[in-house]
Amino acid sequence: MAASEATIEVRDLRKHFGPVAAVDGLSFTVVPGQVTGFVGPNGAGKSTTMRIVLGLDAPDAGSALIGGLPYGALRRPLQHVGAALDAAAVHPGRRGRDHLLWLAHSHGLPAGRVDELLEQVGLAGAGRRRAGGYSLGMRQRLGIAAALLGDPPVLLFDEPVNGLDPEGIRWIRGFLRRLAAQGRAVLVSSHLMSELEDTADHLVVIGRGRLVADTPVAALLAAASDSRVALQTGARERAMTVLSAAGATVAATGRESLTVAGLPAERVAELLGAEAVPFSGLAAHRASLEEAYMELTRGEAEFAAVPEGEGPR
Amino acid sequence: MTAAGSAGAGAGTGADAGAGGAGVAVRTEGGGVAPYRSQLPPARDGFLRLLHAEFTKLRSVGRWLLTLLAGAVVTVLVSLVSAGGSDAVTSGDGGGGGGSGAAAARVADSFRFVHRPLAGDGSITARVTDLTTGADTDAPWAKAGVIVKAGTEPGSPYVALMRTYEHGVRLQHGFEHDVAGGAVAGDAPVWLRLTREGDRLTGYVSVDEGTPANGGTPASEGVAGGGEGVAGGGGERWREVGSVSVAGLPETARAGLFVAAPETVRQERSFGSLDIGTGPSEATGVFDHVRLAGGSGNGGGDGGDAAWRDEAVGPASGPAAANGPAGGAERSGGTFTVTGSGDIGPLPPAADLTWMSLAGAQVGLIAFAALGVLFITAEYRRGMIRTTFTAAPRRGRVLVAKGAVLAAVAFAAGLAAAVVSFLVGQRALRSGGHRPPQFPEVSLTDGAVLRAVVGTGLLLALVALFALALGALLRHTAAAVTIVVVLFVLPLVLGGGLPLGAVEWLFRVTPVAGFGVQSTTPRYEQVETVCVPEDGCMPQGPWAGLGVLAVWAAVALALAVWRLRRRDA
Repeated sequence: MAASEATIEVRDLRKHFGPVAAVDGLSFTVVPGQVTGFVGPNGAGKSTTMRIVLGLDAPDAGSALIGGLPYGALRRPLQHVGAALDAAAVHPGRRGRDHLLWLAHSHGLPAGRVDELLEQVGLAGAGRRRAGGYSLGMRQRLGIAAALLGDPPVLLFDEPVNGLDPEGIRWIRGFLRRLAAQGRAVLVSSHLMSELEDTADHLVVIGRGRLVADTPVAALLAAASDSRVALQTGARERAMTVLSAAGATVAATGRESLTVAGLPAERVAELLGAEAVPFSGLAAHRASLEEAYMELTRGEAEFAAVPEGEGPR
Repeated sequence: MTAAGSAGAGAGTGADAGAGGAGVAVRTEGGGVAPYRSQLPPARDGFLRLLHAEFTKLRSVGRWLLTLLAGAVVTVLVSLVSAGGSDAVTSGDGGGGGGSGAAAARVADSFRFVHRPLAGDGSITARVTDLTTGADTDAPWAKAGVIVKAGTEPGSPYVALMRTYEHGVRLQHGFEHDVAGGAVAGDAPVWLRLTREGDRLTGYVSVDEGTPANGGTPASEGVAGGGEGVAGGGGERWREVGSVSVAGLPETARAGLFVAAPETVRQERSFGSLDIGTGPSEATGVFDHVRLAGGSGNGGGDGGDAAWRDEAVGPASGPAAANGPAGGAERSGGTFTVTGSGDIGPLPPAADLTWMSLAGAQVGLIAFAALGVLFITAEYRRGMIRTTFTAAPRRGRVLVAKGAVLAAVAFAAGLAAAVVSFLVGQRALRSGGHRPPQFPEVSLTDGAVLRAVVGTGLLLALVALFALALGALLRHTAAAVTIVVVLFVLPLVLGGGLPLGAVEWLFRVTPVAGFGVQSTTPRYEQVETVCVPEDGCMPQGPWAGLGVLAVWAAVALALAVWRLRRRDA
């Protein structure tokens, strides 16, 4: 299973643009059967990494292999890797179907395959229209169809949710999950962690070209949730004093609400009860992916110049 | 694992959309899923696939097809306009060619002829002691020499051996053929001899100074008997200039001395104005040691001096043409002084009608260039080049495939445009007064015309190819189109304003040289014509000119491939 051709292996990848290190010693592996979210703020090096994986940019050092081979060594690349990098990368004067058709012709694939994919991505009715008249969402779908043309085991999508309406977002999430479920390796980049909620199984988080985290989503959420307790109390000051004395980190999140980190929920209840501090609600905090992300990247100055809850005011 | 396999089997048959539910079910413990295996048959790769893909790209953008069509239509329209706007100046002095008969080809055959009959084999020998041209005339091709000609009828077959004013000794025949026989120093006398053996005539030259030593019979090429009454009469050492076989010489031909001086051609250009002048000219040759050996048509003996006849062949020309027959001949003792005008040689058409009817390509090429540039820059502009290079990571091959498809399509469109341009252009020219004999009929099936028309298609294909390469190098539409237009149109525009030498250089080395392939006027070294590149008189041969453009395109393409492979897409 490890030697599958449905993997992306990035090893010690480096790429500089002038003095700026776009990718700085990045290593991670994308395995088949799951959606791997590739997350980082704009400019973190996601697109550069994807371009290197696709053989479009040459790395300064390191390697990016698909099923053990560099992209340039793939004989029929569209049957190994499908990529949707930029939804705008379609000639506006060309019909959607013709855009897929030339790609198909480059691999000797039949025209029937093109119609099949237009059907799959919901563009069957629009295939004969010029791509210039497509909405951004339609172009995203066309890009996804292009990526799937060769029915490849490895898929890369750069910000595929951009420009999609809520229904489109729901559609693409389901679509990505189904592709992964078929045993494909699916790498999806996004600068918004929330977009990957309920989609990604695994996260590769990067910042300034370096790896920040490479973790299953479930583990990340568990870690983030474990340490926090949400507390509702009318006696905020007293609660803070009591809990701080017990070694917890307490942050005010509202006039009557606090977030307590460092103590499990039962211990918080116990302490507050012992000191007779009244409280109206106490819940182990279930972190959203976004919060887990913020937690994870707290140390990265680039992500949060002012750490949450500790601001100067 | 087997379940995952079956989910994979569903792919490619339109079942992806429905595979979602099952997809979750096949997830195994630990998140592991059997890697996906496509059920699509293996694709084919190779250069032919790339060609197919690039052709699909080209034909699927309507605007590009319109550009191509516009290029063809503009080519035809501009050709038509430029041909229709050109009125023929049919002047009377069309060169004095064979106005005398239907068979008369476009030749000049007008000269002063002092002759006697020559029956059967024999030879004519003479020493040219002096050749001078008229006072103000500069006639480098003024000529004096010996000639054997079928008769005095213009256009009749001949072989002539002569010394020229500036181009040394020449052996000419058939109006087109010219053999150089070496330079002649200054005013040194030159011995000339032309011998006839059947249809074969051989020219000899000798430049010995002083008195001939062996009584007029060259050691190696003796002509037996038949001595004239002229003292001396031969050089010491004869050198063969050439030997030609001429059909159509009758048993008894005319042999003798001739002098001719073609019209002078002067072209000067200073900024903005082209100054072309042609002027009549006249030359005088002095001969001595004239000897005709062989049959004289009256028993083979000495025909006597009275047998020499002096005649002006062809229509009158030269400075005195308006007043009467030009030139004349005087004889004093053994010395003949002959004065004549005119020329014996080909008479190129007054204008290159094929060139004129293909002129639209000079404007139409802009559309072809635009298409070539857009074919690649449109991909860069939208980022589609990345899709292209992910589908075909070998970038050099992609560009070559693009070039091949583009060139083929541009050639087809350019050829069609050239054929139509030629046909409508010829019609317009004919109705504008360009008629035979001054402007002979030309047909698509003529070798030179076919070359020009097919060459125009090739020219436009090369323009598109060159533009493609520039587009790939610069990745910028406007910049690339501008450069192509500057390289092609500027020399054409500047052509009217620069000194001739500079223009010729421009037309030799810039891509404009490619237009040489549209030229159909034959060039003869031995004839001076008005020659400016804008009118189709290119400094190089047709294929050489097109070759220059091809080199530009090839170098640009090679640079583009090199750059493409090194740079990030």
